[in-house]
Amino acid sequence: MPAAARSTVDRLDLPSAYFLGRSRKRKYDRDRDDRDDREGSPEAAPEDPLKDATTLYVGNLSFYTTEEQIHELFAKCGEIKRLIMGLDRYGKTPCGFCFVEYYTHQDALDCMKYIGGTKLDERIIRTDLDPGFQEGRQYGRGKSGGQVRDEYRDEYDPGRGGFGRAIAEERAKEEREYGLNK
Amino acid sequence: MGDYENRGRGGRGYNNRKRRYKDDDDFDRRPQRRRYEEPPVIKIRKQLLSIAETLRKPEDEIRSISQALIENYDDEELRNNVLDLILQLTVEQPFKIPFVAAVILTSNLQNPDIAKEALIRAASDARGYLEGGSWRQFKLVLRFLGCLQGLFEGDGVFTVLEELFSRAVDLQTASSDDGLGLELVKIILLTIPYTLSSSALGFEHHAASLLEKTDIITSTPHALEALVDPYPDEEKPREPVSVLTLLQRQLQTEAGRDWELACIPRVWKLPLGEDGQDPLATATKHAFPDITIPKSVNPGPKPLFPEVFFSVYADQEVETVPPSTEIASSLLRDALIDTINVLDFNRNATAKFLIDIDCYFSPDTFIKRATPFDRLKEVAGDKSTWKPEDVAVDAVFSQLFQLPTPEHKLVYYHSVLTEACKIAPAAIAPSLGRAIRFLYRNVDSMDMELSFRFLDWFSHHLSNFGFTWKWTEWSDDVELPDTHPKKAFIIGALEKEIRLSFAQRIRGTLPEPYQALIAEEKEKDAPDFKYNFDETPFALEGKEVMALLRKKAPEEEIQAVLNLIQEKAVAMGVTDSLIPSTDAYVTSICAIGSKSLSHVLSCIERCKERLLAIGPQSETARRQIITSVMDYWKDQPGVGVNIIDKLLNYTILTPMSVIEWALINHNDQRRNLAKSHIYEMVSTTVFKVTNRVRQIVAARDQEGLPEDQINMLNETLIREREEQKIMFRVIEDSLTNYARESEDEMEHNSGPNVDRKLLQKWPERWLKVFRRKLAVEEAVIGDAVKVQLKTEI
Repeated sequence: MPAAARSTVDRLDLPSAYFLGRSRKRKYDRDRDDRDDREGSPEAAPEDPLKDATTLYVGNLSFYTTEEQIHELFAKCGEIKRLIMGLDRYGKTPCGFCFVEYYTHQDALDCMKYIGGTKLDERIIRTDLDPGFQEGRQYGRGKSGGQVRDEYRDEYDPGRGGFGRAIAEERAKEEREYGLNK
Repeated sequence: MGDYENRGRGGRGYNNRKRRYKDDDDFDRRPQRRRYEEPPVIKIRKQLLSIAETLRKPEDEIRSISQALIENYDDEELRNNVLDLILQLTVEQPFKIPFVAAVILTSNLQNPDIAKEALIRAASDARGYLEGGSWRQFKLVLRFLGCLQGLFEGDGVFTVLEELFSRAVDLQTASSDDGLGLELVKIILLTIPYTLSSSALGFEHHAASLLEKTDIITSTPHALEALVDPYPDEEKPREPVSVLTLLQRQLQTEAGRDWELACIPRVWKLPLGEDGQDPLATATKHAFPDITIPKSVNPGPKPLFPEVFFSVYADQEVETVPPSTEIASSLLRDALIDTINVLDFNRNATAKFLIDIDCYFSPDTFIKRATPFDRLKEVAGDKSTWKPEDVAVDAVFSQLFQLPTPEHKLVYYHSVLTEACKIAPAAIAPSLGRAIRFLYRNVDSMDMELSFRFLDWFSHHLSNFGFTWKWTEWSDDVELPDTHPKKAFIIGALEKEIRLSFAQRIRGTLPEPYQALIAEEKEKDAPDFKYNFDETPFALEGKEVMALLRKKAPEEEIQAVLNLIQEKAVAMGVTDSLIPSTDAYVTSICAIGSKSLSHVLSCIERCKERLLAIGPQSETARRQIITSVMDYWKDQPGVGVNIIDKLLNYTILTPMSVIEWALINHNDQRRNLAKSHIYEMVSTTVFKVTNRVRQIVAARDQEGLPEDQINMLNETLIREREEQKIMFRVIEDSLTNYARESEDEMEHNSGPNVDRKLLQKWPERWLKVFRRKLAVEEAVIGDAVKVQLKTEI
């Protein structure tokens, strides 16, 4: 049988550019000292952290989407072992992402193929394979406690708290000052 | 097409340089990129990958690819690359087989080495697929060879077909419930049309003699056929016919028409030479490559079940899909199903193929895309009214409604329909509408598992498209009793919609008559805690239990209150005093965990010890756990079902307790059978058990396992299989009991009663489903046990 490593159409169950970018950066930093070797063995990659991944990062959720809704959709790809909601670091309220852990790697891959890019709660959600949840990762890394992308977003998204927080803050300030000058 | 084109551009360095460059002299607006001529290998790859993808004449593309291949054939990298790609397209994009085969046929005119090399590869692939039991891939390579029949000396592909047939006969004589032999016959029958529509001439006789021989095998109904009938009820939309029987009949009809095979494109046709001769007739011939079917064939990884033909568009006033008497029906369906199931790793690509189906068959096979259904009546004379989108969508539904199970998870087929609808809403959405109406119209006679799949798909699909559906057309059915299959469908579908969204949102999408179906209580943040109402027995104690649990009081304090409940209950004459105390305890856990699934899970985790201790004391109390959960969540049964599932994982509940609760131990028992969440609860529980047995078999069959571990696993297997058997027996017994009770009732209560008549249907529908599940497990696990015995001998 031919070694069909590369398909005639792209696969949807590969890690995203985001993940690859991060791991490439890591690899780059690691390889810095012995760069000469790189040419010789381009794909002698170390153990792929996603080889048996059973966890998915799920993004672009509405802040109002519940665990039950996520469960309802994601269970279509297999039994869910664990579901961890992403929370605002300060308010401990959902901030638009979560981790879904399945029992098997295949279920996680199927989820990438069949659920990533479809709608939940009327929003297109994003899924990405993840090496596994670690305590602390459930909190937003943005300045004000939510996700970074919700700090400077300049379009209005009612499902994710309106405008980006930094921008909303700026506007509120302007408005206050305008009131004072008057 | 992935990474090939990207190779050699050097990842990050390129980007960095570009950015820096831009910063320095931004004034120069013209891109300074070097003119880049693609190397021939990439050019040919691109052309091949997109072959026939447009409605333009594919003949020109074929000639241009072939020309480029001939010109660059000395380039070894190119040669390997292109020939590999052709064979890869054969198994990954089956629609394109006649087109890539035509490339080989055309190239052969000028350079016979190309065909020779392609045949070597095809044969080696075919042998690999045979060895691995990859029957689909084998079929597709055979189709490729069938399209190349004109290349061969002698009988060509027919030698393999004859050999396949004798293997099929062996298998059929060995066992009457053999599925593989039927699969082999199907491969033979599906190869014939492609071979006869190739450039080869004079093989009609070969085909006819094969058809004569396959007739007996294809006309004998398979033992398991009745089990996979999608419409088992007497009042069914149509009689079940196996796919194989149909195929045989269609080919016989086509033989009577001189093998017209109109839908297969004859893209190999070349303009006649100056001498008025067909250039293909005088081209170099080749020996048929060496492909021998081994004496004992590998059945492949999955057990094969007979397939019943399924169509949602079969009974319309105007034909929108080929009638099941036409060979086009099977050819289109087969190519579509392979495309769909092979490309599960990219649903967007699958959807694109579905939309573009008319590119890959003869130009007059279909009517223009997106022609509205009402417009079809105006189509003149013998022109085709087959709608490409109907044909495509029908194939997806045939998979979604495949019994016992389709190749991939159901949600894959959901996602294909969603994507197709996104790419071409104007074409696909009306087709889906007609499909939904057909399915709904016949939901009464549909297999119950399928009606559950239907509502699961329907609600999921709507959730991707703003929950819009013309509910008004079913408004009259809201009046039906809840036990009517149509009403049960509506209730179940709305419930599922709410689970994916929320009650208020779904209420907003519904016309007036449906409003009553969504109880006010569904919109509450959390259900009422029944012990807050003083008239509830043990109200005081119930509140106390919850308060203690909430503040994480020591176990003894909780035990004291539970004891109090039990004492009071005994005084009141309750036989099993553990029941009211369990009720208070579990209801309190539900209330504390009402905020979210993880809240209730962490509460269960905390109370695990006490919960685990309930079952061993009393099975009735164990079932009370289920009653308490389902009562608390009566307005959002989906949440309840989920919690039950988690309690099973904790082994606080046993599969048997869930089944007994659902099928025996309930007040309004039979009415429960019409509720989709009850079916969901039972079928997920059954799946848990059967899946475990399968996993044990899989673990045991791993290679290189030490003897003692195999023995241990075999012991577990025997034990678990026994439990599985008991479970199925309990299901069978309780359902037959229901069925008998209903009959008695019917006899003793004279007078018309619609409700009673409806009630009577449900046990039968359930029985059908779970008898099939048992038969499938027996077939799968039975085979696995047999296989092991064989290797031991």
